[in-house]
Amino acid sequence: MAFAPLDPVLHNQLRLAIVSLLVGLESADFNFLLEKTGATRGNLSVQITKLKDAGYVQVKKTFKDNYPNTRCSLSAKGVKAFETYVQALKGYLEP
Amino acid sequence: MERELTPSESLKLIETMIGQAKQSFSRNSFYFLLWGVLLIVAMTVNYYFAAHSDPRGSWAWAVVGIGGGIASWIYGAREGKRQLSRTAMDRLMQWIWAGYLATLFTMMIGGSASGNGMSVGSIIVLTGLPTFITGQLLRFKPLAFGGILFWVLGTVSFFMGMQAQALLYIAAMLFGYLIPGYLLKCQEDGLRTA
Repeated sequence: MAFAPLDPVLHNQLRLAIVSLLVGLESADFNFLLEKTGATRGNLSVQITKLKDAGYVQVKKTFKDNYPNTRCSLSAKGVKAFETYVQALKGYLEP
Repeated sequence: MERELTPSESLKLIETMIGQAKQSFSRNSFYFLLWGVLLIVAMTVNYYFAAHSDPRGSWAWAVVGIGGGIASWIYGAREGKRQLSRTAMDRLMQWIWAGYLATLFTMMIGGSASGNGMSVGSIIVLTGLPTFITGQLLRFKPLAFGGILFWVLGTVSFFMGMQAQALLYIAAMLFGYLIPGYLLKCQEDGLRTA
């Protein structure tokens, strides 16, 4: 049986964590992702940018109480990629 | 968090993160407690004045509507700032209640224009809809039962006189809003400290 390749954009611990969090939400604040993933600000920012560049995540920058605020949401392409990734993952795990 | 993941690690990570996202919730009990108390007070005041043939009781509705509206708006704005994530369910509930208010006011204007007014029973029945849906969305049975109770008491009140309608309204607010709202607050407090 041939294994389906795993999407390299998603097959990374932090990027997969971000997408897994976003898949159940309409949108999430940068600080929410920071708290839930336990990542550093710099690393989280880099990985969000990679997901954004792949078209998986939409990033909206606003101001909240005079401080910059980043809000992320999963795009339709991101949802599809996540579903495909999970399907491929099943192929590796099923006996 | 940079090393290569195994498929089982990936799956475990997905499960953990989805579980984490589920734990983010918005607090809704405040609105049921606030409006439960305010509407019971307004109907009690209205009932008292009506019993003494005094028309001033209707002012209670205006005071409660404006006061409750401002308090809800301030609380909603604060919660919005606190809330770091937003679910589709949050948005759905927001628009269901906005739609309910729009329908209620439209029907009140229509009732006033026709000179017949809007019966207490109609208000109770209409309030059952967003309450029931909210209960089902939150999977919180006391609130869903509260919605059903609104429908039952509203239907009964169609066959009753004005005084009985007022009492049924108070009962609906007590058992459909206030008590489920308090139970919901207990659940939310438990989730927050967990």
